[in-house]
Amino acid sequence: MGNILDIIAVLFMVIGTLFSLIGVIGYIRMPDVYTRLHATGKVSVFGIVFLLIAAIILSPLSLWKGLVLIFFVLLASPSVAHSIASAAYRIGLPLAHPARDDLRGKMEQGDGRDV
Amino acid sequence: MIRILNISIPLFLVYLALSGNAQPSNLIIGALISVGIALLMPKRDMQFVPLKRLPQFLWAGIRYLFVVGWDVIRGGISTARIVLDPKLPLNPGIITIPSGSKSELGTALSAHSITLSPGELVVAMDDEGTMYTHCLNVDESEKFVAQAQSMRQNLLSKMFE
Repeated sequence: MGNILDIIAVLFMVIGTLFSLIGVIGYIRMPDVYTRLHATGKVSVFGIVFLLIAAIILSPLSLWKGLVLIFFVLLASPSVAHSIASAAYRIGLPLAHPARDDLRGKMEQGDGRDV
Repeated sequence: MIRILNISIPLFLVYLALSGNAQPSNLIIGALISVGIALLMPKRDMQFVPLKRLPQFLWAGIRYLFVVGWDVIRGGISTARIVLDPKLPLNPGIITIPSGSKSELGTALSAHSITLSPGELVVAMDDEGTMYTHCLNVDESEKFVAQAQSMRQNLLSKMFE
């Protein structure tokens, strides 16, 4: 029983590390702020969740503490990504090769102050 | 009184989960701290969950958690696939998504789950609850987003309205 849990934990650790690595690769390859936030905000978080599950199994971290940590990671990371994207748009960082931009018109009308 | 309980009971549960011990001394300290924090909160109208709708709230909440969890998995894998693709298939842009929710909390939770779902990131919101969403692939997102949003909105409105 302990053996199977260990194998699952190691598997999750490998998956988590892999996805964290992919997140960093995405951060390097993507062209602008917004697409980079996709890479760090989604792929890396996915990796962190897997690493935390492995930590719950392998380390003395208790189950509830681990679940609360996963909950907070999932709550915080989209908020952080959203606030960075919002700030970046407000100071006028351009999108790389945008296919369309529905927000620009809204900002130019001057309605953008509480956007 | 109800307002204080509404805030302090979730705080107390989180404290118990984090400290992970049910000794009487720990329970008393947790209760004191959570009630103290609830007293320090500003006296705004914080209507969280009416007690008589609690079963409905919990059922919708659990289904919502599963939907969000599935979105996290799909979002991680599909974005990873785009990152690892040698050609880097991007078609980025910002599209508008109406949240369809009247309350602030509903709009905020919609924005949160949209940001977790594959290829989308909420950049800004306005007063009517319209979300300006950055997508990795505009055409694909536009096809699926209305359906996904109406499903999430359905669950959220069961929880909060």
